[in-house]
Amino acid sequence: MSVTNTLVYFVGIPTLIVVVIAGLIMLVSRGPSNAGGDKRYRPGRPFDFTPVWFLSTPEQVTQPEKTGRKTLPGGVPAPAVRAGGETDSARTRAGVTGGASDRW
Amino acid sequence: MTVGEQEREQHHREVLDGPFSTRQLIRLDEALRVADNSTGLSFSVYVGDLDEPVRAHAEKLHGELADADKAVLIAVSPNQRVLEIVTGAEARKRIGDRDAKLAALSMVAAFGGGDLAGGIISGLDQLSTHAGRA
Repeated sequence: MSVTNTLVYFVGIPTLIVVVIAGLIMLVSRGPSNAGGDKRYRPGRPFDFTPVWFLSTPEQVTQPEKTGRKTLPGGVPAPAVRAGGETDSARTRAGVTGGASDRW
Repeated sequence: MTVGEQEREQHHREVLDGPFSTRQLIRLDEALRVADNSTGLSFSVYVGDLDEPVRAHAEKLHGELADADKAVLIAVSPNQRVLEIVTGAEARKRIGDRDAKLAALSMVAAFGGGDLAGGIISGLDQLSTHAGRA
């Protein structure tokens, strides 16, 4: 076996394999962050997202938007929610609410 | 594509732009449905910023629900790191403030670890367990 052949078999081919595997790993790890960014919530860091309100039946909100939105769990965009709140201030005082508050 | 389809498409994109992945959304939907069906109360989860005073804003959101007396609202603001649980007059008889606080504590523990969906789902489970069957 000539020197050239030895170099190709024992240096060239392993290097090629290493480069291909490293390239694949880079592609995979960079892929999700390019498309949409890393959306994981980390306490203390700003977290940018669209506010959502989930109900098991979206019609429960007093001013439901148009129906026919059952395919995903009734997330109602927050702007709509806020706009609805200003008109029925009488409801909000009815009864005594309970519950709890906490921070983290 | 009709106008309705376009609206629905837009709505889907907004929800998927929210804080949860599709898989988490499915789990959350399931948890909400189970909680509602087993207790007869109506649970809802709001995730987003709350205006100051936070408690008052959460109560206002709660008041917007159709049957507010029987409704339980879990309001989470990840950026302000605040959790509010609001129970209606009727729901409060079944989920005492102490039970709500207990659920809040375990939810906050999960949120502190960065697990929003897990905290909400375990909180829903605890609250519905405390409320008992309808």
